[in-house]
Amino acid sequence: MNERRAQRVRARIEEAFRDAGVTGRLAAVDVDGGRGIGVRPDEPVVLASVMKVPLLVALHRQAAAGTLDPAERVVLGPDDRTAGSTGLAMLRDEVAMSLRDLAALMITVSDNAAADALFARVGVPAVNTVLAELGLRGTHVAGTCRELFDSMESDAGVADREELWAVLDEPGMLGRLSALDPARTSRSTPAETAGLFAAIWRDEVAPAAHCAQMRRLFALQVWPHRLASGFPYDDVRVSGKTGTLPTIRNEAGVVEYPDGGRYAVAVFTRSVSTAAVLPKADAVIGTAARLAVEYLRTAGG
Amino acid sequence: MNLIGHLECFVAVAEELHFGHAAERLGMAQPPLSQRIQRLEKELGLRLFDRSSRHVELTAPGRLLLDEARDLLTRVDRIHSLAARARLGAVGAVRVGLPADLGGPVLAALIADFREHCPDLRLEPREIGTAEQCRALAEGTLDVGVLRHPADTRDFDLGPMLAQPLGALLPAGSPEARGGPLHPADLDGREIVLFPREDAPGAHDELLAACRRHGLDPAAVHEARNPQFALGLVLAGTAVALTAPIEEEGVVWRPIAGDPLALRTSCAWPKGRRDPVLERAVERFTSIATRVLRRHAGMAPLERAVSRRVMARPASGFLS
Repeated sequence: MNERRAQRVRARIEEAFRDAGVTGRLAAVDVDGGRGIGVRPDEPVVLASVMKVPLLVALHRQAAAGTLDPAERVVLGPDDRTAGSTGLAMLRDEVAMSLRDLAALMITVSDNAAADALFARVGVPAVNTVLAELGLRGTHVAGTCRELFDSMESDAGVADREELWAVLDEPGMLGRLSALDPARTSRSTPAETAGLFAAIWRDEVAPAAHCAQMRRLFALQVWPHRLASGFPYDDVRVSGKTGTLPTIRNEAGVVEYPDGGRYAVAVFTRSVSTAAVLPKADAVIGTAARLAVEYLRTAGG
Repeated sequence: MNLIGHLECFVAVAEELHFGHAAERLGMAQPPLSQRIQRLEKELGLRLFDRSSRHVELTAPGRLLLDEARDLLTRVDRIHSLAARARLGAVGAVRVGLPADLGGPVLAALIADFREHCPDLRLEPREIGTAEQCRALAEGTLDVGVLRHPADTRDFDLGPMLAQPLGALLPAGSPEARGGPLHPADLDGREIVLFPREDAPGAHDELLAACRRHGLDPAAVHEARNPQFALGLVLAGTAVALTAPIEEEGVVWRPIAGDPLALRTSCAWPKGRRDPVLERAVERFTSIATRVLRRHAGMAPLERAVSRRVMARPASGFLS
């Protein structure tokens, strides 16, 4: 009986993905109860900026271990900052900031310059060590934001990102970009990403105080058009981290209800169209997450 | 003195009666044109034109010489065209490679068009896949090929790049045969028919990768070199063919939403050709083939898609 309901919900989620013109993969799990539902939850997916989540976890584990001081100040000149449209990445002058404030910008506005400054301090290999320690075998961080940009430009044979947009429609171009191939870039599965968020919410990936700091940042994430769009209620809190690359739109996070219910959700989508602005593809992340969470909330018992 | 060249200038000015217009027609600047006329007048020892401040008029001797000059230029033209024909005769034919799935009507239009525009030249078409075209062009057994991209074309010059969107060819009765464009995922798990991988490995792999990326993971891939073979498999209900539009009894062709599956096609020929006559023949073939493929095979120049302008927003940009 319950399995038949799950089938129906999965079919509705698939239909929502299709109507939005995307291929979607989803995993949702009750943070406390452990029950879950998924649509192709174990298939490899491109993390894009969701890769900033394991970096944040690694940062806090190093801070907890005492090998790094979260208040340590970093000075970043305009020329040694990775490009991006938000946060430090879009500023013009020198900035001095603590590691934890860099982390705040990295999570809340997906600041690429802040992320790469943290990668430089924490180390890409250390992030992968943490993922292995947490048992996330399908999750891997391939490199920094700058390395990812460089790979896209060299794969496409273009000089900058504006030019990349211009050639993106060329048949075959999307296939040539290693950044869009889970086998060759930072990757995970919906199930593992949702599991990582559930673990952060259960204080399992670092000491409780550190997990609380991480949760605070995810709750301060600014964009309302993806996961949060599925839960337009004053008393429901949506925390998350987005991930965006051409054709790729992701968000993973946790939805918390006033009755104490907490649900970790990870949605990874890929659009047929290369258009940069596709509101339906953004919104279906929220729609699919709501269908999954509503299933978990009512199928209880 | 290049008498023929100077006579050409004389005839042009005589016909236009205006130095500026004549210079424009000859594709040169006005001062050198005036100098040439002066040198010709000096050489012949008479004035050809009366130049007032407003008018240019032929003198009596100028009128006398004009017909003779025209006659001479016509005969020079004839010598040039006779020479070209003699050399084309030596070239004999242009050996062109064409993909097997181009279809009869397209091939017929191509041959007819070429015959009409290059009556002195024979077209020698061969049905030959991209991989083998690349080999034959490199070995010199083919003069020009119509090939599918991506392919290793480093040693070739390429004509205009054309894109041909592929759709799904379905039996008329099947549920997906109704309605508008299909999403690739609608065909997930079905068996598909495609041109053979060995014909154009780059394009074949690229298309299958695009299918899988958009949610179409085929249960099996059948290879059909011939459109009729593909049609047979579709009619038998075995598989769905991914092809350019086909109109046939019993089948329906559906476009794919957003045209994610496309074949890129262009003419290609070896770089650094030696014989200018063959070079010109290849040029003519390329322009005719490009026109025919656009008109009869539903291909469109790719430049149009490339001029897209994207104003990335913070939340839809890279890595946000």
